[in-house]
Amino acid sequence: MTDRLTHSGIPLKPVYTPADVAGEYATRLGDPGSYPYTRGRRPADGAGGGWIQHELSGEGTARRSNEQFRYLIAHGATGVDVIGDTPTMAWCDPDHPIARHAIGTQGVSVCHLGDYRDLYEGLPLDRITLSHSLPAPFAIAGLYLVARERGADPARVRGSTIQVPFYCEDCSYASHMPFALRLRLAADSIEFATRAMPRFHAFLEDTYYISDGGLDAVEEMALGFVEIRYLVRELLRRGVPIDAFAPRIAILVNCRTDVFEEIAKIRATRRIFARMMREEFGARDPRSLAVAVTSHTSGLTLTAQQPVNNIVRGAVQALTLALAGVQAIEISAFDEAFRTPSPEAHLIALRTQQTIQVETGVTKVADPLGGAYYVEALTDELERRIVELVARIEAKGDPGALCDGGWFRVLFQNAMERHTREVREGRLGVVGVNVHRMAEEDDTLLRDVAERKFEPCRERVDELAEFRRARDGRRVRDALAELRRAAEARTGSLMTPLVAAFACGATMGEITGVMRMGYGIPYDPLGHLEAPV
Amino acid sequence: MKPLRVLISTLGLDQHEVGAIAVARLLRDAGMEVVYLGRFNLPPAIVKAAADEAVDVIGLSCHSWEYLYYVDELLDLLRARALDVPVVLGGSVLTAADARALEAKGVAATFGPTAAAEQIPAALRRLAAAR
Repeated sequence: MTDRLTHSGIPLKPVYTPADVAGEYATRLGDPGSYPYTRGRRPADGAGGGWIQHELSGEGTARRSNEQFRYLIAHGATGVDVIGDTPTMAWCDPDHPIARHAIGTQGVSVCHLGDYRDLYEGLPLDRITLSHSLPAPFAIAGLYLVARERGADPARVRGSTIQVPFYCEDCSYASHMPFALRLRLAADSIEFATRAMPRFHAFLEDTYYISDGGLDAVEEMALGFVEIRYLVRELLRRGVPIDAFAPRIAILVNCRTDVFEEIAKIRATRRIFARMMREEFGARDPRSLAVAVTSHTSGLTLTAQQPVNNIVRGAVQALTLALAGVQAIEISAFDEAFRTPSPEAHLIALRTQQTIQVETGVTKVADPLGGAYYVEALTDELERRIVELVARIEAKGDPGALCDGGWFRVLFQNAMERHTREVREGRLGVVGVNVHRMAEEDDTLLRDVAERKFEPCRERVDELAEFRRARDGRRVRDALAELRRAAEARTGSLMTPLVAAFACGATMGEITGVMRMGYGIPYDPLGHLEAPV
Repeated sequence: MKPLRVLISTLGLDQHEVGAIAVARLLRDAGMEVVYLGRFNLPPAIVKAAADEAVDVIGLSCHSWEYLYYVDELLDLLRARALDVPVVLGGSVLTAADARALEAKGVAATFGPTAAAEQIPAALRRLAAAR
């Protein structure tokens, strides 16, 4: 980090004084649990605070991933956080030719209802928080259908799913769907969950994955707010009342190692959200104003060199998040540069969270840094810069058109390139990479764990063939045809026919393909598969 | 002298482009021509593009383990078409053991997480000159 600049480039003074903090306490900060929620979402209750402690999981089949969940829960995790493998995140079935060498190696392979049954097997669906980094309509349909089958009331299910309509094509979750369809699916699935799963955060704005290519804290939140605002306007345009869905908006943020900038970012985010919801969108319910913030520590800051140092980075970043008062934390595991978490890395990450919670005492007092001259001055500056960048982007035209036109892609590419250059030129100091390096032959600590590999889950291809054989083919074709018509019609919710098709055994790849056809693009844009209807 | 032409691609569903983009710009800044193939490519498409674009080097950016399985197919296709184009791999997931195994298969060079970026252009020039 360059002296006297934050990571995002905000100039800093050597010391801050009362002269750096402007404005009234009540309007600028407010007590924790009070507008504008700068100091926290909930009132200080003296209960010792705390957050949901979960670790990103998902490896191989749904059954193997379920074992991971149970392992973490047995060691004290208080929530499940699951991510799909690269085929799943591309809305692609594991038997697609491009998927064969990637099945289950970077997350769980889930593509049909049976997979979701295996995924949640034995979990108390109405008592544990289930966070999903999965294609949202399928996470919602899967959870909803399995909860009903098991006799658990979907209305009691808690958790979240990421919504990524804007930036997915540019940031590793490409779905090969046009923007209009992605937006419609996001809004439809949020509307569906608002009614069917009212305690579930179906609108989780994920600024983590967009920023972990190299965006700075200001860009991260500005892009997040651009997406939130667009989706909110879309839901309002459809006639959904703001207070019906706003309480279930949450934001999943990144946390790099610039401690105070990240704390200020999170505090500024709560204030920006509260003011925007009340003053711009007319929300009245206090729950609509107080946004839940969940978080992942930064994978980009983790290094392949001296991987043991990543444990320290995870601890510092998680402490930062605890000080900022977030609702849930996931520490990116120390072997992240090499693989999805090994059991050893999972446990270290969880134990790190537990150590912070149990031993440091940082949660005994709400917003413990509130009122510090530097923290408040930086919070104000982050707010100013984020709001200004949102306005600048929106002034360029319809953000949806910017998205389709590739405007954001250029921004992401520049950020990626900027990050790499800063590390290469040493302006962003990274221990073990451009400073305090170590000879390769000496860099052995925990390397054996980090470098361990496992095979793709190719047995999924045969399992899926068997699944397709066993289902009622005619019902599936009818359901897919119905979904294609619903997509072509451009109006009405896609969730009803999507849930119906998923319930009778259609797969994610098939469902996605026919929706693409409804939007006039090929069933399989990668050009390998024939449409079933 | 004709500038060196380098094809840059990722493999399969590996969507992490940070490394690919950074290297593409690095090579371009070093005066090379980059054919940026981007994401979602399988070996046949990469080999076809390498032939059509008459590139001097194929560079693959790897942030998933898919390369472990695609490299054999890619090298076989190059041999089948008698295309003498060196293939290099780079990325944080490449371990020292991977590098040895890949070079034994016929990969011309690997750039793991500890490789200095500045070395890449010179290394590619040497490989192309040795064809």
